[in-house]
Amino acid sequence: MPEIIDVQLKKGVLVLCVLAVLARKESYAYEIASNLSDAIGMGEGTIYPLMRRMQSDGWVETYLVESSSGPSRKYYRLTEAGHAALKAQRSEWRTFVVAVDALLEPVSQGDQNDPK
Amino acid sequence: MTRNEFIDKLRKGLSDLPEVSVNEIVADYEAHFADAAAAGRSEAEVASALGDPERLARELHAESGLKRWEKAKTPSSAIAAIFAFLGLGAIDILILLPILMGIAGSLVGIFIGAFGTFFAGGILFAAGPFLSLPGGVAGALLGGVGLMAAAVMVIALTAIVTIWMVNALVWFARLHYRVLKPALEPQSN
Repeated sequence: MPEIIDVQLKKGVLVLCVLAVLARKESYAYEIASNLSDAIGMGEGTIYPLMRRMQSDGWVETYLVESSSGPSRKYYRLTEAGHAALKAQRSEWRTFVVAVDALLEPVSQGDQNDPK
Repeated sequence: MTRNEFIDKLRKGLSDLPEVSVNEIVADYEAHFADAAAAGRSEAEVASALGDPERLARELHAESGLKRWEKAKTPSSAIAAIFAFLGLGAIDILILLPILMGIAGSLVGIFIGAFGTFFAGGILFAAGPFLSLPGGVAGALLGGVGLMAAAVMVIALTAIVTIWMVNALVWFARLHYRVLKPALEPQSN
């Protein structure tokens, strides 16, 4: 059961996480994927269909960077629309977290059984 | 599985997509293997983290067929969407197949019938006045127009039902994604 919650949660925030990672630093897919699989345990294979989708939605654009070793690397950066999407999803996420946190807080008065 | 096996299977599975998109997709996974190797990971480990390439190819393939339908609702994109759906090869799809064939057959039959009626109306309208039919000239003209109008209505209704059916199929097909699912789930903004 916890696994199902886990998967659903990650699925929902994956796009937001990718937008946030790219807002910090323009990056290439492997780096984004390993950032996210370290941070939230996302399966790394999901990054490619996701990036293609975000690209076709006009949220990210790509450019090639020459690499000293091997072929040039495809970098992603946020477009105007991507920044706007990040802003909207971030505030939505914050509101959501505040609401869930409020529900998770034990009722403060008279709740002596709570270990806190 | 080695990197070459993975890429071969992926490429084979995608072979009837446009070459440009196949090359883009394959290049992404090639780069992934290269970056992972640079990070000291084995090919087998990376391949298993990426999932089954044949399954991945089937789903990418299906997705491109379904997207074609969503972009332009034409008869040929409807056929592309239906093949994309069948290409997923899920077991419940195979069970549904006879029912789907029945429905598709009926829709095609209604379309053909309606077109036939339309032409019959056209002929009645054009030739009827010269054939001294029981209703006279006015009867032939009105009857012809009436038949054509009824046929157009049936065609329009059938088209609506067909579009609705294909949309339902697209929705159902997406339920079958395993590899792509986390990434392709529509985002509710």
